[in-house]
Parts: sequence; C-alpha cells; structure tokens
Amino acid sequence: MNALVIRNLVIAKGQRRLVDGVSLTLAKGSTLGIIGESGSGKSLTALAITNLLPDGLSISSTSTIEIDGVALPTHDAHAMRALRGAKIAMVFQDPMACLNPFMRIGTQIDEILAKGVLPRTARTTRIVELLREVDLPDPATLARRYPHELSGGQQQRVMLAMALAGEPDLLIADEPTSALDASVQAEIVALLARLQARRQMAMLIITHDLAVAGALAHDLAVMRAGQIVETGPAQAILNAPQHPYTARLVAARRTLVSEPSDAAHAGHLLVEVTDVAVDYAGRGLFGRPFRAVQGASLRLERGRTLGLLGESGSGKSTLASAVAGLRPIAEGRIRLLGHEMRPGGPALPQALRRRCQVVFQNPHGALNPRLSIARALGEPLGLAGIPHREHAARINAVLRDVGLEAEHAARFPHQLSGGQRQRVCIARALLCEPDVLVCDEVVSALDMTVQVQILQLLKELQKKRGFGMLFIGHDIDVVRWISDEVLVMNKGRIVDRCAAHELGATASRDAYTQRLMAARLSPLAA
Amino acid sequence: MKFLANAGFDLGRMLIQALGIVVIVFLLARVVPGDVVDLKAIEGDLSASQQQEMRTELGLDQPLIVQFGQWSWRALHGDFGDSIRFGRPVGGMVRTALPVTLVFAGLSFVLALVLAIGIAVGAVMTGSRVLRSLVEIVNIWSIALPTFCIGVVGILIFSVWLHWLPVVGSMLLPILIIGIDGAGQIVKPLYEELREAATSTHVRTAHAKGLSPWRITVRHLLPTAVPVALALSGLVLAGLIAGTLTMEVLFGLPGLGSLMLNAIQGRDYPVIQAAILVTAIGLVVVNALTDLLHRMIDPRLSR
Amino acid sequence: MTLVMPARTDGKARTRFSVRAFLPAAILVFMVAVALAAPWIAPFDPLDQDLLALNQPPGPEHWLGTDHIGRDVFSRLVMGARTTLLVGLGGAFAAFVFGAGFGLVALSLGRVSEAILFGAIDLVRAMPGVLLALLLIVALGEGVGPVTIALGISFAPFFAYVARAIYHREAAKDYVTAAQLFGGDPLHVLRVHLAPNLIGGLVTQAAILLPRCIVTESVLSFLGLGSSPDAPTWGRMVAEASRYIELAPHAILAPVLAIVLLTLSLSFFGDNVRRTLDPLREEAGS
Repeated sequence: MNALVIRNLVIAKGQRRLVDGVSLTLAKGSTLGIIGESGSGKSLTALAITNLLPDGLSISSTSTIEIDGVALPTHDAHAMRALRGAKIAMVFQDPMACLNPFMRIGTQIDEILAKGVLPRTARTTRIVELLREVDLPDPATLARRYPHELSGGQQQRVMLAMALAGEPDLLIADEPTSALDASVQAEIVALLARLQARRQMAMLIITHDLAVAGALAHDLAVMRAGQIVETGPAQAILNAPQHPYTARLVAARRTLVSEPSDAAHAGHLLVEVTDVAVDYAGRGLFGRPFRAVQGASLRLERGRTLGLLGESGSGKSTLASAVAGLRPIAEGRIRLLGHEMRPGGPALPQALRRRCQVVFQNPHGALNPRLSIARALGEPLGLAGIPHREHAARINAVLRDVGLEAEHAARFPHQLSGGQRQRVCIARALLCEPDVLVCDEVVSALDMTVQVQILQLLKELQKKRGFGMLFIGHDIDVVRWISDEVLVMNKGRIVDRCAAHELGATASRDAYTQRLMAARLSPLAA
Repeated sequence: MKFLANAGFDLGRMLIQALGIVVIVFLLARVVPGDVVDLKAIEGDLSASQQQEMRTELGLDQPLIVQFGQWSWRALHGDFGDSIRFGRPVGGMVRTALPVTLVFAGLSFVLALVLAIGIAVGAVMTGSRVLRSLVEIVNIWSIALPTFCIGVVGILIFSVWLHWLPVVGSMLLPILIIGIDGAGQIVKPLYEELREAATSTHVRTAHAKGLSPWRITVRHLLPTAVPVALALSGLVLAGLIAGTLTMEVLFGLPGLGSLMLNAIQGRDYPVIQAAILVTAIGLVVVNALTDLLHRMIDPRLSR
Repeated sequence: MTLVMPARTDGKARTRFSVRAFLPAAILVFMVAVALAAPWIAPFDPLDQDLLALNQPPGPEHWLGTDHIGRDVFSRLVMGARTTLLVGLGGAFAAFVFGAGFGLVALSLGRVSEAILFGAIDLVRAMPGVLLALLLIVALGEGVGPVTIALGISFAPFFAYVARAIYHREAAKDYVTAAQLFGGDPLHVLRVHLAPNLIGGLVTQAAILLPRCIVTESVLSFLGLGSSPDAPTWGRMVAEASRYIELAPHAILAPVLAIVLLTLSLSFFGDNVRRTLDPLREEAGS
C-alpha cells in the first residue's frame, strides 16, 4: 500500500486551472521531491493533500487523493482535523511566521500531543524528547522560550518537532530551507534525512532548489504550469533529464557549478577601500550605534568583478552602500573614482554619483509602480541633462542590450515578470554609463532559470562596457561563477579573500569559508 | 529589564503629556481678556481701587509663572479654588459630578468593547453575511451619525412618543447610544485585523496541526487582535469624552460634562480648569494603562 | 461552523457608475446648491420672530413650521446650511494646511527635529478633539473664524501622521535611493516619487475627516460654542429646540435630519474617493 496516491488532481480558481491533472505516488518510507519554479502549482498540490486550500480555490470532483489506500475525507471536517497533525504533518517555509508569537514553544508542541491520550506529565517528557530528537540543545529550557528568542534554524527544528509530535506517516515539507542561511540549510537537510530514515516516514519535499531535492529525494516529479512534466528516480532525472524543461533546470544549476572562465584582465583602479567601519544609527534617542562593518579593505579595478559573499547580517550590503556613497563611514576611507570619502566628510559630488550605480535585490520595490518603464528609464536621462528628444533612442538601445523589446517601454512594472523587471533595473543603471556597478543580491529573488540568464547578461555587459562590478550574494555557486575575486564576510568583517576559482581549495581557506563550502549541498548527488 | 525600562519611558512620556495639558489649560484660561475681577466689577460695581485690592488678594497681579505655581500647588492638594458663580469649593463640585460620569463612561466603554469584539469575532469565525454587513453598518453608524442627533431622535421616539423612558435622568438610552458609537469605531479595524490574522501563516500552521476551530480562534487568532483592540480603545475613549459631554447635557445627567458646559457658558474659570484637568489626566492614565497592558501581553515587547 | 480562511481579495477597485457612487455625490451637490442659493430661497428672514405663531407645526405658510420664538424653521435650515458647510469645509482645509504643512516641515528638518515636533503633535492629539476645540474657543472667542481655527488645530494631527507615515514608507523604497544615485536632489524626489503618494493619502484623509469636522462643529454649536450666536447653524437649532422637544418636535427633527443626511453623504462619498485614489496598490508579491 502506498502512503500517498494522487490521481488527476485539478485545482481551479473559477475557470483557470492552477493545477491541471497531477498524478503521483509516494511509497511508504520513501521521499518524493516535487520540483518547480514559482507558479508551478507545487505548493497548492501540497495544500490540497491536507485540504487547506485558500478560499476561492476548488478541487475538481474527478480528483482523488488517497492516504494509505483510504480516500481523503474532505467532506468531514472532523475527520480531516483528526488526520492533520497526526497522520499527515506539514512544515512550511518561514518558521518565524509559522510559530505563534504569543505562545511558548513547549505549549505549541503540546497542542498536538493534547489531542492524544497522554496525561500532562507524560506529555512534558515527550516534548523534551521531541526537541532532543531534532538536535536542539537544552530542550527543557528551550520549551519555555518564545519563538522570537530562537534563531531561524532553531525555529525550523521546532517546526519539525511539532510535525513529529503526532507520529505522522506522511510528512510534507514545503520549501523547508529556503528562508534559512546556507550553513543552516545543510543541517536541516541532514536532519530531515535522518528523521526519515529513523522513523520510516513517507516524505514529500516541495522545493525549487535542485540541490535540496537531490539530497533528500529518492524520486522526483518536475512541475511546470500546473502539470507534471517528468517523473522518475532522482539520480536519473538529475543526471539525464528527458524533458527540455527539466534539462533547462538542471543545466542552470550545472552552469553555475562549472569552472568559470579565465579571470578578466585588470584595468585601472576604480575603488579603493581602506579599513572602513560603518555604523547603523541606534534605535530611539538614546540607542547606541551598531557597528555593521569593521576593518574592511578592498580594491576594485576596471573590467573586474569582486564578489562579496556572506550570510544575512554579515554586513555585505552595508559595505556596498558605503562604497556607493549612500552611507556615511565611521572609520577609514574610501577612494571612489578619484574622490576620497572620509568619516564626517562631504558627501559624494553629484557628477560622481552617476558613475557608480546600484541594482537592488527586490525588483518589486525598485521600480515606482506609478511610472511606465519609459518614464522610469527616462528619469536618469533627464537628471543627466539629456534633452528629451534623445530619450527614446537611448531607451530602445539599452532595452535591447538587456534582452528586452522596445515595446516593453510602454508597460508598467506590474505587467512584467520578476526577471524582466530586474532587466529593466539593470538597463536603468546602464543608462548612467557607470564605471562601477554594484549588484546587491540581484538574482536572489528570481527563479533559477532566470537567475542564470541574468548572470550571463551581466557578464556580457561587463565585457562590452568594461565597468567594474561589485557583486553581493549569499549563494556560493552564484558568487563564484560571476566573480574574479571573492571576499568572504562574516559578522561585519572580511574573513577571507581569494580568487574565485580558489574557493574550493579548502586547505588554504579560513575556517568560516570552509564551513560555507561544506554546507553547500552537492547538487547532483543524493 | 527591558520591560521595566520601556514601561518607565512610557510613564514618563505620559506624565509629560499630562503636564503639557495642564499648562495648556492654564494658559488658555488666562489668555482670555478679562478675568474674574472684571466680571465681579461689572456685577458689583467696584471701583478701580477695590478692583486692584481684589486682584492682589486673589494673587492675580503676580507673574504668570507664579500664578501657575500657586494654582498647581493647590491643585495637587485637591484645592481648586472656589466657583465664581456658586461660591462653593470647586473640588467638592467635581467630586460630586465625577462618579456620575465614571459610571456612564465606564458602562458605555464596556458595552462598546463587548459589542465590537463580539461582532468582529463572530463575523470572522462564521463568515456569515449578516454579521459582516453588521460590521459595515455599525461602522458607518458611528462615522456618519453624531451621537447628539441620535440622542435627540432617541428621546423623540422613546420618551416623547412611546413614553417608555423619562425625558431626563435615565442613563439607559445614552449608554446604549455611546456604546454603539464606540463599538462602531473599533469594529471595522478589528474585523480587518482578525481577517488578516486568519490568513496569516501561523494560523495556517495551526490548521495544519489539526486543532479545533475553537482553539485556533481563541489561542491563535485572538491574541493577535488584542494589541489592536487595545490601541483602538484609546480612540474609543477619546470619542467617549465628546459623547459624554453632549449626552449629559441632552439627557440632563449631573456629571462632569454638564458641570463643564455650564461653567463654560458662565465663564466660571476655576470650574472649567478643574473639570478639564480631571478629564485630561484621566485620559492620560487610561492610555498609560492600555500601553502597559499591551506590553504585558505581547512577549515580543517585554523580553 | 467553519473557521473562515478567506483568500486575499485581489483586483483593483473599479469605479463603477452605480447608485452607491452617484447618490452621495448628488446629495452633496444638492446641499451645496441650496446653501449657495439660500438668500433667495428662504421665504422668511431667519431672525424674524413672529410672536403670534410660536411652535407651529409644518403648514402652507411655514413649510417646516416655526420654532419656540416664532422663527421659520425652513429659512433657518436653509441659511444654516451655509454656515455649517462653510465652517466644516474651512475647518477641514485648515487642518490639512496646518497638519500637512507642519508635518512636512518637521520631516524635512531631520530626525531630531522630527521627533521633537511630532512630540508636540502627539500632545495636541492627546487632548480629545472636542475638548481642545472647546478650550480654543474659550480663548479665542466665538464666531466663524475662531471655530474654524479651533477645528483646524484639533484635526491637524491626523494629517501630520498620514504625511509622516507615507513619507517614511516611500523614502525607504529602493526607487527613491536609485533616484538619488541618478543625481536627483530632494526636490526631484519629492516631485516625482513622493508627491503623488502624499497627495493621494492626504486627500483620502481629508475625505474621511470632513464628516467629523461637520459633526464636531455641530456638537460645538449644540453646546453653545459654535459660530454666530444669532445666525443659525444646524447644531444651534438642535440645541435651542431641545428644550421644546415635546411641544415642537418638527423644530428639532428638521436640523437633526439635515445633519444626518449631510454626514452620511459625506461618509459614503469619502469612501468612494478613498476607493478611487487608493487602488494603485503595489504587487501583492512584494
């Protein structure tokens, strides 16, 4: 008997089919990974199994979902509630948002245990056991804490403990690691593998990350636009994908892992940062400033790409904004295109500002939703004093450079996809003809296939135009691929620096770099 | 520790606000041309020297700062001076009027909260169209219909035409009116907040845990709404002030509002000052309490 | 009993030509027209007392009857529309100017000034509107001018807060940072990026506050502190007639219904305005 069988699942919103005829089988004790990019319908499929679809969406009557050979009692709310948390457990993406901020950790786990027959004292012991099973230190004390006192990784472990509390036969994990830092991701993935092996649960992993799926799943199903395009054993799919879409996904990942091309030849010096410290203003009138960056030094030359690699909170974005003249520095000095910035010194002169441009992470927030693309692109031109009649020609030229059509200029941001918006942002930056381009996590919010396209675009543009690029990211493969030299940052300091291709030479690397490299999941092995 | 520090900050801020109110009240009363002595001079036909004598006696020729100091000092001891119109100690008048207003305002406030929370929670839990429409109706009611207008209509219907209630003296109708008005101010934001919370990730997780709807509502949904409800209570209280003022006048209730209004019409400054002071300080205290409650309830703010 | 898990209502609000959108606006236009035409419509002088016709019910000569000192209710109602609307609109406008002006100045002066100046605004807001208006009128005297100013000061904080909220929200946006990188000075940023959102938000706020201004003015008149002791405003009519409520219900009902109609229309109208100006929401995905 299979743990889960789905036949012809159709989820519709009015006339539109969001999931169109999905069928899959999950055997007991094995793991199935559903891979897809945003909008593929993978999360909806998972929600359908627990019958928790948002209002307005309906499951077609011809669809069947069976748990352990028994059809899902979708019409019996009471029976469904009994199943949830017990036979079927679900873990979501953002653990901080999933936990009730007003309840202690222990109490939240106890809620599930209370559905069973154990008396209170036995439940308390069980809670401690569960927390220990997910490798949380000092479980008894932790149980009395509130969610906001825990780190992201700890919160996700708590979520897993809650999921396990009901002794589930089926565990569904929807993007369990996407919201976590790289090093923590690897730990959670390892934990999931251990738990599954120990308890012999059936597991359904939903993710966009091939590496995560490859590390955990025995079988894979690839979803796109509501349909499954390919299924099969994980190894087979990842090594020899049949369907062109799967091939593209795999290729995207492979591209990044492949050996980067030769380091570019260095031009003259554009940016020189010496012993810089950057502070964040304290909260309120009496708060003390927080030192986000300390003792940072770097050099950026024309035609070269410098990668700033680090996890969240490492100070990489702060340092980059200081280099761009957007933040004052507290110590040290920055020499940008000949102009020197010192603590307490004057701000960057207008003429120089244009020559150092930034492309931001979130394409949603980077474009004014009220302005058409043409107007948004016209803004830097207008401010540079270029007469209005020349705008159209330049805009069309730059749109072509970034791989868009002239007709896109008439559209508004909400009419473009994430990747297209990011191209527009790059185009906007290019219109200023910058000598330095700062890319702050520019691909982190994009789907994988789109990520690779944007990265390739950036490399091409750099070759053509010769600007120096400061690339900030947290994904090792991405940063390594695009950079000539990589600086690794941790807690505000630069702890390691090397040529991009030397990142893997573990022996000569700093301990922190080694940890980051080890945390990388090998993308094509389970 | 952080909890105490923040609570301390809030208290300090409240005290400064209270002080500010006191100063404003004092200054505004003094800014008006003509003072007690002028009035008495007109009434009692006093000569210039008699006026001067009276001024010195009452301390009115002192610089403002000194007057303020004297007044505050006395006020702190509960001595608000004597009413110009009635010659009685103001403190006593305020003390008689205060309980009436407290009962009135208190009951109205409770009614408002009960109504608002009941309707909002009911609407979210059951999704019933009736309750959702009720949310809109009550909301529009409080925005568009001034309480004194409703009061007049109420008197017309229940006292004049139906003779169910006396025209003056009964608190039933005004409490209902102010209560509904107060509920209307809270119910819509509360409902939206609850609805937002119902789609939030942690409520969805609670569903995924298979908990009963009751438990989800009480332990997962409501707690997110309490901070909002508390914040909104501040709004309700503000509305309550205007409401009690007009209602007391309209329905003939001998509370602080009536006292204040009569004093204003009669230019009885000591009474005005005392009454406004008591009201404002009361508001500040309640605001401080709600803030404190908020901090105590939300662990993110206290740890 | 299901615990509702509602889907997010998406989609932009479309201004449909419906009764709901049309009716309030029509009523308001009608009232303004009446107010403007008042001197020519009113059959009697509003101050004229006919001592032989006290508390007369509505009839052919006096369309809405007379009040307790023989004044024609209809004429008073129609003339009262002028003052009521004037003060209400004036007060809201004053609040807009005081609040938005003061707020924006505070915001442009830097963080410390912002904190201090908004502290002052907090203080003003700590006093309930009516109370503050009361005090101001006591200090400034009666009449249209002082009442308008009092209303303006009492309601100004709302505009200041809205201005501050929008300013901070927009100033943090990446496209504002980008504009600075292109060489845009603060004036450019204000004009191109901040102003549209600011204006939208402030106008919305004005639409919401207008009925409250009218109500507050009526309450003040009711309490005897409103504009013009001898010129009729609706609130004052209510106040004066309240003592004779049993004898002449028509004299109090007329102004009450007028106030209710005005505020209801304003509220619905304001709601429609909000729905039209607000829907330029950003993508739900951000």
